[in-house]
Amino acid sequence: MTDTAVSTSASTRPSRVETVSGPQSPGGGGRALAMALAPVFGVVGFLLLWQLLVAALHIPRYQLPAPWDIVRHLASDPGYYWTNGRRTAWEAFLGFGLALVIGVAGGALMAHSRFVDRALQPLAVLIQVTPIIAYAPAIVIWTGFGLKPVLILASLVCVVPFLLNSVTGLRAVDPSVLELARSVDASRREVFWRLRVPSALPYLFAAARISVGLALIGAVLGEFFSGVSKGLGYSVKFAQSRNISLQLWGSVFVLALIGSLATVAIGALERLLLRWHPSQHP
Amino acid sequence: MTVASTIVNDVRTQADTLVDVRGASKTFVRKGARTNALDGVDLSVRRGEFVSLLGPSGCGKSTLLRLVGGLLEFDAGIVLVDGQPPAASRRQKQFALVPQSPALLPWLTVRQNVGFLTKLNRGAEGHRTPDEKEVQALLAAVGLDQFGGAFPHELSGGMQQRVSLVRAFALGAPILLMDEPFAALDEITRAQMRYLLLELWERTGGTVLFVTHSIPEAIIVSDRVVVMAARPGRISAIEDIHLDRPRRDDMEDSAQFHGHVSRLRTLLRDSHDAEVQR
Ligand SMILES: Nc1ncnc2c1ncn2[C@@H]1O[C@H](COP(=O)(O)OP(=O)(O)OP(=O)(O)O)[C@@H](O)[C@H]1O
Ligand SMILES: [Mg+2]
Repeated sequence: MTDTAVSTSASTRPSRVETVSGPQSPGGGGRALAMALAPVFGVVGFLLLWQLLVAALHIPRYQLPAPWDIVRHLASDPGYYWTNGRRTAWEAFLGFGLALVIGVAGGALMAHSRFVDRALQPLAVLIQVTPIIAYAPAIVIWTGFGLKPVLILASLVCVVPFLLNSVTGLRAVDPSVLELARSVDASRREVFWRLRVPSALPYLFAAARISVGLALIGAVLGEFFSGVSKGLGYSVKFAQSRNISLQLWGSVFVLALIGSLATVAIGALERLLLRWHPSQHP
Repeated sequence: MTVASTIVNDVRTQADTLVDVRGASKTFVRKGARTNALDGVDLSVRRGEFVSLLGPSGCGKSTLLRLVGGLLEFDAGIVLVDGQPPAASRRQKQFALVPQSPALLPWLTVRQNVGFLTKLNRGAEGHRTPDEKEVQALLAAVGLDQFGGAFPHELSGGMQQRVSLVRAFALGAPILLMDEPFAALDEITRAQMRYLLLELWERTGGTVLFVTHSIPEAIIVSDRVVVMAARPGRISAIEDIHLDRPRRDDMEDSAQFHGHVSRLRTLLRDSHDAEVQR
């Protein structure tokens, strides 16, 4: 036991050192490239495995198409996926934005007043634990068909992470810093904008990362139930009713792409705005 | 001494007094338990004086500092800062606070951190604040002029605490309130920080109330050391320090210094014994 532990730490230590000295040393360049490409390996490996299994097990295309078939299908009708993808991305984006504004505003109120906090916490939990798929039809019946219920659903699913994270973040200011601000009689507004908001930023980015996927769920779900005839959710529903597995999977691929691009965009923004945060310098 | 000269003397002391605490008491009530944090404390600090508060943990040093800074309400007594209530002085940005932790904002660079408190509640101060060049000189005095663009996470603990000191002096406030600013530092860094602090103070002037647990530290920085005792928190003795200024580290080997050390040690032990007997 002890032997293994010693040999493990001995073998990891040199590689650590190399990573640190990365850009300068000639051997480090290859390693840096490998590290940059590492995230791609998992996805590509998964798709390759899928491709091989479908071929090896002779799974018919209508049951489960291979990734390459799906990609070829996408390439055969890019206009369709562009139009519908844009639609769903736009809905998810609007829902995300609404949730951000409502969540942060609500979070500010909750951070400001213990009473509002206590009053809204159970509501937030209720929204979070009730399966959205169960009340989605009810919301459609209430608000009518069209874009409105889609936006409501998309923002409902991601409002809670924004709400709870902004409360935590706005309260995360170091008490000594707050006392310093008080010692020069800083106004509430100064404390909010100059201390609380920047402290909340890392928490908001964490919420944003979770909410990207949630907003897409909300948008797709909204399209399922609200009778619209556009968007990838609609495309999935239509394909299911006709048993067109290529279109089903094509829509799923585009949704995955949208989610990934949004995540990358958020990551880039995070690196820009949170250069100072421990999460950005491992 | 004639009656007239006594009066003149008295007037002069009053004019010189910047911080005047008379019979100040503060009781905290928490979960039904009452803590007599301060009980009838009298203290007056002259303009330009450097005064240390020395005493065991829980004797009310931080509480006294906060009363003077208008950060805490007191139950009884009078606290006057430059002849007015501390809250009024706080609104005029008369205080520069140095907390125990550096309390820097991680998203601001060193230079931005140093200017941060100056920017808050701008225009409320009735005094002049150091301009950019002077602030840069303060940074240089603590050896951080090359680190103006660095973020706090790129600095060591001692460097962060130096930024915190410069931030306080950059306010140009007439009164500095320091609550164990060096407590978290190692012994060697800490010993250097005393002289850096004195250097900044000699540059900018001001009246300092300095809380510490360390007897040598209290002696080397102060004009007077106020010894406090706990339960209830009170002042048990005041020791005048007669070392010349500017203070140098070789003074720490002088007989005078050692005399202060042994007297303060006895005073602290006495107040501790008195507490145990209660
Ligand atoms: N906000 C508070 N609520 C309740 N009790 C408090 C509060 N602040 C201080 N006290 C109590 O008042 C007493 C004096 O506290 P204070 O912080 O002034 O001591 P101190 O001399 O600064 O101690 P230390 O050297 O440990 O910092 C302590 O017994 C403490 O428990
Ligand atoms: Mg204290």
